[in-house]
Amino acid sequence: MSAIVRMTGRVLRSGLPGLIALLAGLALFEFVQPLVIASFGGAQGLDAIMDRIPPALQAFTRTRPEFLALSGLAGYLSLGFTHPLYIVLAGAAVIGFAARALAGEIDRGIVQIPLARPISRSAVYMSRVLGVATICGLLAVTGPAGMVAGLLYARPQGEFVYGHLGAVALNGLALFWAIGALSLWGSAAASTAGRVVAWAISLLVLSYFIDYFAGIWTPLQAIAFLSIFAYYDPTAALVSGHANGTSVATLAVVGAVAALAGLVTFTRRDLPA
Amino acid sequence: MSKLTKRYGPVTALDGIDLVVPRGVTFGFLGPNGAGKTTAIRLLMGFVRPTAGTARLWGHDCWRDGVRARADLGFLVPADALYPDMSGEALLDYMASLSAKPPVLRRLLLDALELGNDALGRRLNTYSKGMKQKLALTAAMQTSPALLVLDEPTDGLDPLIQRSFEGVLRDLRDRGTTIFMSSHDLAEVERTCERVAIIRDGRVVAEQTIADLKDLHRRVAEIIFAGAVPEGLDSLAGVHVVEREGSRVVLALGDSVTPLLQFLGDRDDVVDLLLSPPRLEDIFLGFYDSSRNGHDTGEPIGSSNAPELAARMRE
Repeated sequence: MSAIVRMTGRVLRSGLPGLIALLAGLALFEFVQPLVIASFGGAQGLDAIMDRIPPALQAFTRTRPEFLALSGLAGYLSLGFTHPLYIVLAGAAVIGFAARALAGEIDRGIVQIPLARPISRSAVYMSRVLGVATICGLLAVTGPAGMVAGLLYARPQGEFVYGHLGAVALNGLALFWAIGALSLWGSAAASTAGRVVAWAISLLVLSYFIDYFAGIWTPLQAIAFLSIFAYYDPTAALVSGHANGTSVATLAVVGAVAALAGLVTFTRRDLPA
Repeated sequence: MSKLTKRYGPVTALDGIDLVVPRGVTFGFLGPNGAGKTTAIRLLMGFVRPTAGTARLWGHDCWRDGVRARADLGFLVPADALYPDMSGEALLDYMASLSAKPPVLRRLLLDALELGNDALGRRLNTYSKGMKQKLALTAAMQTSPALLVLDEPTDGLDPLIQRSFEGVLRDLRDRGTTIFMSSHDLAEVERTCERVAIIRDGRVVAEQTIADLKDLHRRVAEIIFAGAVPEGLDSLAGVHVVEREGSRVVLALGDSVTPLLQFLGDRDDVVDLLLSPPRLEDIFLGFYDSSRNGHDTGEPIGSSNAPELAARMRE
């Protein structure tokens, strides 16, 4: 076990500056959300603005009247967790790590360092799984932490329960775990980090757009369940204070299956010279 | 290695190799680029899965039971496959911790390879290729493993450090370490190894002690005459003319040099005579030359392809 922890520490440290920069960006992005809302006069001020947006555009921005009526400040704040920039920053951190920690090390030959010692491929792979889980945990808490700081600083008008951010963190953790484990599976099969990044980003973008357009284009609703974003609903989590158990479990299982598939792939493959 | 075979699609990299490396021996594994040396080493390390046959270390299958097979093994990781953001010392500590053995030989190796404390404190992205190679060698040997697997160990080292490294290998062998090394530097193999295997096109074509290999091959005589090379050399018992050019002739000699010395003793036009034992390089080139000519005599010299092959070996 200690060898797995040591290897995890090593791969995390080798990309630490980039990871810190992405986490700082994520925290800053969420810190800014309450400031923006406060600058519009809080939830009430934004309601007045949203009322003037044409219905078609409301649908496109997913700010329908029923959404506004139900969610209040929590709903507006939740947009910070569905914004593409948030997904890009979090996705870059977890995909980047998964790609670098296995395929990148295979490409550069660094993976030979542990594999030339009495350490199994399973242990090497599990150290990367632990690394992905660690990064997912950091991502899940960094955004909400940044938002808490922003709320305390800007104090926008409207009701908000800080404890509900825990549900967002849980749903985020499940989403990032699924993305990270799928990327790690790709990393176990590939021999260059670039290929993994390209594959994972394609999957992420496709998944995001299936979910996004399924909300505004009825024919896509039939396949919406295929998107991992169908199981990510920070708005409901932030408003109700509960992450949907089925959604979190689905993402957790997707991640677990991908991680297991990656383990089988990595322990059976040839490593290139 | 038993019937060890590795195919990559239609390409056969190793074709049913059978090879046993005795304990405590320094064993050289020779062949030009593409012969299959690195593939064999990667199979030993469990980096790739054999298509057929088995590779075993201490009786443990390298693919199925790799952890036990590598329990007391030092492997030379390529110098460009080290974490660039680590300091030399941190990397040595990390690699020793993964081996779960104390680095008892570290100081000795660092002194022998002339890698100072100031260098150890620096990040590897400031190291030259030679310094990385020294560090990789230290990392492979620092825990005094029972088996060392070294692929091109002196690549990037200057001649003085190479000699020092050879001394380290001899010390390790005296401690009972088994050393399995591939090298393009045949003179180095000749100085350090007791046994060698020569691999060609994925097959082992020779596997003997260097002394036995030399005994099987002919000595070489190079003679310079004052005038033209006289006739009659070919007819001497055990003498074979390899090369004749103007006043110079190169001969391959059999068991006895007496017929040649008697022939020369009757003449007064001999300017110079040089008798040489067979060198590993000549024997090695002979194996490759004979393969190209379609027969396996192993004769050492007279190869039109030898310069080209020698150049490939030096690449």
